[in-house]
Amino acid sequence: MIATLRHYLSVASCFARLAVQRQLEYPLFLVSWLLMIPTSYFTGIWMLRVIVERFQPLGGWDFPELTFLYGLGLISHGILVVFFINTWSIDRKVINGEFDRLLLRPMNVFFQLVASYVNFIGLIDCIPGIVIFAYGCYLTGFEWTAAAIAKLILVLLGGVLIRAALFIALGSIAFWTKRNGAVVGFAVITLERTTMYPLSLYPYALQSLLTFLIPIGFISFYPAAEFLGLDDGGLELPLSFALWTPAVGIVSFFLAHGLFRLGMRKYESAGS
Amino acid sequence: MLQAYLYIAKMKLLTNLTYRFEWLTSIFTNLILMLASVFIWQAAYRGGGGAGEALSVDDMVTYSILSSTLGALFVCNVQDTIYVKMREGQIATDLYRPLPLLGGYLADDIGGMLSSILNNAIPLFLFAALFFGFPGPADPLSLALFIPSCLLSYGILWLLSALVGMVAFWVMELGNMGMVKDVILRVLSGAFVPIWFFPGPVQTVSAFLPFQYTYQTPLGIYIGRVGTYEALGDMAVQAVWIALLALLLAAVWRRAKTKTLIQGG
Repeated sequence: MIATLRHYLSVASCFARLAVQRQLEYPLFLVSWLLMIPTSYFTGIWMLRVIVERFQPLGGWDFPELTFLYGLGLISHGILVVFFINTWSIDRKVINGEFDRLLLRPMNVFFQLVASYVNFIGLIDCIPGIVIFAYGCYLTGFEWTAAAIAKLILVLLGGVLIRAALFIALGSIAFWTKRNGAVVGFAVITLERTTMYPLSLYPYALQSLLTFLIPIGFISFYPAAEFLGLDDGGLELPLSFALWTPAVGIVSFFLAHGLFRLGMRKYESAGS
Repeated sequence: MLQAYLYIAKMKLLTNLTYRFEWLTSIFTNLILMLASVFIWQAAYRGGGGAGEALSVDDMVTYSILSSTLGALFVCNVQDTIYVKMREGQIATDLYRPLPLLGGYLADDIGGMLSSILNNAIPLFLFAALFFGFPGPADPLSLALFIPSCLLSYGILWLLSALVGMVAFWVMELGNMGMVKDVILRVLSGAFVPIWFFPGPVQTVSAFLPFQYTYQTPLGIYIGRVGTYEALGDMAVQAVWIALLALLLAAVWRRAKTKTLIQGG
């Protein structure tokens, strides 16, 4: 058991090293991303500031709280983009028969899919995330106690798992439909509007949908509302969201993994 | 000659209609973006917020719906086309054709825009009308001025896109600079938050840049924020920007042709 685990770890780190080296081969290539991504998020939060300063707090969320939420959502997005980017292109791998290679190796296919690409470029998303979150913490007077840090780590972990589960489930649909590339773009945009903006802006029907059916609200909105003591639109659960988010994350991750395995059975390789 | 352009536009229209799955997803993506901005504006105005504003919440809802519809409509793929074709070396075959390269790409984008009217803009607009009521223009004259202003907007957007695409002729290694332009455009065009709501200095600087004349100008005309004379003045500014950008593009293109590097072989 321990030997297997160690074997998997060594393969993962080897994959990671290769992936980072491959991306650093053309460093200038990153310039457009390095300009685009931070500009996009910094201007995004700036526009929210323009609105709340000119009008009023959005559903009780003023600029400091919005910054906190925006940063929290963005960090978990950044972590996902670093570690789970391969789940965004499952459809391409199905059409091109790229799973053949993974199936031939004596290793778990799902593990190989996820571990074979550590997306170094995803760190560019984390930078504005950390900066905006730190600023939000400063503005809201967030107290960095040991308990708060532990809660934060649990929330981030759970949030990344929920996001990953969503993309795995969406990607697995490609085993049946063969194509769903555009759905990934749709999911990315939806997640951005629902984890970085207060969920309570949306009508009740949408809030319930994004809480109970697709648990997006647990990624950052409910935890942020709890951290800041703000109105979360009326969802009351016992205990802390620092426990609910990881729990929901683990359950949805397992469900998505089950769907992936079911899909793998449908996999029929590529013609010619 | 015109037939060749029409053929390119028609082919683009037909290809876009073929991918039905992508089509549905793109409608839903645009719908999410539209809903998010409408709900943000409603929250900003709720319970007496924005009482001193000249614009009502209905004006802003109309503004957001029309802005999303225009966003779905204005297809400017030219920057990506040039970038990808340069990278893959396909630009060579396009240069062989007995048509000016940029003219061909413009026809391609116009075809994309025509198919967007049918399969993106109209469904999106109908959805919006269903959810939030019909977002009508301030008066018939506003509508009459809105349409030509939109055409001018598209001219500015396309020229900007083509100019940024030209960067690929010199520095391909930097990646697609069009993405950077798009981010700046998203803020300074007023597509989400109109520039009128920004602090004074930002408004002053923005007035001398082309971006706000792409979305804010036609949308401001539609909701009746500007009077007829002011609208005509704004459209004159749009026309001036088109002339300036077209001259610039012509100059850049003359140099780019000598710089063309064909990859692969």
